Amino acid sequence: MNIKQIAKAAGVSVATVSRVLNHPETVAPATREKIQKIIEEEEYTPNWFAQGLNFNRTKTTGVIVPHMMTPMYMELVSGIEEVARPKGYITFLCNVERDPKMEKEYVEQLMTRKVDGIILMSSALEEKYITMIQKEKIPVVLIGESIAANRFNSVNVDCRASAVEMVAHLVEVGHRTIALLKGHDPHHETEEMSLGYQNVLRANGIPVDRKWIMDVENTIEGGYIGMKRMLAAGAPDAIFCTSDEIAYGAMEALKDSGMSIPEDVAVAGFGNNRMSNLIEPKLTTVELPYRKMGIYGARILFDLIEGETDSRDPRHILLQSRLRIRRSCGHQERIGEMF
Amino acid sequence: MLATDYLGLDLKNPLIIAAGPWNRDGKALKESIAAGAGAVVTESIVSDTLLDVRPRIACDERGAQNIRLYSDIQIEGWEREIEIAKSEGGVVIASIFAHTPSELAYMASKLEKFGADAIELSVSNPMAESLEILASHADTIFDMTQAVVQAVRIPVIVKLTQNTTNISKVAKAAKAAGASGVSAINTVRGILGIDLETAKPTLSTYGGISGDYIRPLGLASVATILQTVDVPVSGIGGISRGNHALEYIMLGASTVQVGTAVMLSGKEIIPVILGEMTDWLKEHGFRNIGQIRGQALKNMKSFDEMRFEPAVSTVTGVACKENCSRCINGCMYGAISRRSGTVNVDRQKCMGCGLCTSICPAGKLSLGL
Repeated sequence: MNIKQIAKAAGVSVATVSRVLNHPETVAPATREKIQKIIEEEEYTPNWFAQGLNFNRTKTTGVIVPHMMTPMYMELVSGIEEVARPKGYITFLCNVERDPKMEKEYVEQLMTRKVDGIILMSSALEEKYITMIQKEKIPVVLIGESIAANRFNSVNVDCRASAVEMVAHLVEVGHRTIALLKGHDPHHETEEMSLGYQNVLRANGIPVDRKWIMDVENTIEGGYIGMKRMLAAGAPDAIFCTSDEIAYGAMEALKDSGMSIPEDVAVAGFGNNRMSNLIEPKLTTVELPYRKMGIYGARILFDLIEGETDSRDPRHILLQSRLRIRRSCGHQERIGEMF
Repeated sequence: MLATDYLGLDLKNPLIIAAGPWNRDGKALKESIAAGAGAVVTESIVSDTLLDVRPRIACDERGAQNIRLYSDIQIEGWEREIEIAKSEGGVVIASIFAHTPSELAYMASKLEKFGADAIELSVSNPMAESLEILASHADTIFDMTQAVVQAVRIPVIVKLTQNTTNISKVAKAAKAAGASGVSAINTVRGILGIDLETAKPTLSTYGGISGDYIRPLGLASVATILQTVDVPVSGIGGISRGNHALEYIMLGASTVQVGTAVMLSGKEIIPVILGEMTDWLKEHGFRNIGQIRGQALKNMKSFDEMRFEPAVSTVTGVACKENCSRCINGCMYGAISRRSGTVNVDRQKCMGCGLCTSICPAGKLSLGL
């Protein structure tokens, strides 16, 4: 059945059916219920393409994903879809392999395809480029920290504060020589974590020693190689890794070198991937609310697409991270694991 | 007789059904309204609608413990639920929970658009959040409240917890940030009990205790807030009878909230509590509930104000010959004894502590000069 047949069956005009679908509050309750009943019985779904022509919408959004193989980004995407799907939207996923050039190419592709809005995750794009997208009347939301996050609609977690909490916990447990395995990306977030790490050391009178800071690729392999290289010069008491993947690699390298975790070296990660609770010893890490970041990214985007926002200022949502204390950091108190 | 103005909302009575799974969707809220509630609070709305642990609620004869009771409906779904809830009238307060000011502000502005009449910030849950409950810090409450107040035009209520060292300080912060009112108290962190045979706690982790267990804590919190901050208070904690509700109102509460009693006895308890409140007021010659509001708060004294009188206990009326020794066993000063079958108080030994007057099941003892 199409919209004309629904209208005929209900004895109303096509415009009234259309209003029930798009602005139900404008239709008298009795009429609305009657039409909705027929729509449900006939399992009628509107023709989104035709609707897009009417409203100048394509019912599509684009999501730029830095790296598809990183599980956290998939959690983010599932949060986005949780909001987008009930609205009848399809999401284009664009995997840019941490390549800023590819990111630009994909954004251009999305614009050519007339998406209704774009979500950029941990974007490497410059401010003027994002402004250019917005000038084309395509709403943009940034998820994760980037250089331009403050000036656009964004959803963030304070990475520096989260790193401070993590490193402070390592100090509290009793570790003094605390190393940093620092991933190359996402660049801005990692730099923030690094600053947080250094602040805690200084605040506790622990010198910041370059020997204990190692730049690595943000992968399991990167963590493994970085740890091996660091161990050649000696072993720290504890290691803070800027991602859980790096931590998995570091743990593997420590085990291969005959060391026990946390007795010889304690390990802490960042992100709380699903696996971090399954490996042994279970990884102490910072839980980031990925799914929720996706949900809020999509919420803000749809508010913009649907003209639901009153303010012209960019909207910023800051979400909270949380320490997940487990065995790998060498803490003894059970209560820390429970809360 | 029970009509109440609460934060500019005209309530037909001060009995509000508190946030919880008994108000989990539009239909449930509508049922609470139909049962006679003055207003209803939604189950706490969150953005991370996780699967709830099972089991998560336990109870005994004095109250209940719950682990995590948040709405499983996302904000987007509450547009329809609130419409259903209000389809035949009624005042709906949206309870929201999140960890940051910006998130709370976003949620509040959405729920205002969906038709909520007020927002209750439920940032005081003692369950599985952290050892330190969010609402135990005055500055955190200030930031959260301020962000929400700036985002909406409807009244903002902050639900407070006993799990703090100074509830007055937190209430002041809420008011300074622009809250229209506060609710007190949320459940209190606890463990309901231990099964000795299996060495297991009733529920597998810490939870929030509610019911009779916490009524004295709720009463004290309401009194403390009202003695220190000029802010309307919604009294919560262990209300299952009309007299409990009246106790809170006599201490100055504008409204009261009932949750656990509805969970344990069903929504039929709502008209029962309301009937008991009305009956008591009628029997005592009051025309409206405002006449008793705050009357008991005036009788709360400081140690300085208490008069030190040489009052001692005496057996009033006919000599007590009951075969009961509770007053004798309970007297820590050895002042009460039984002589030739009757209970006597030694006026020299009695220190006037007053315990025997409340321990006696027959009400035979009283303090006097």
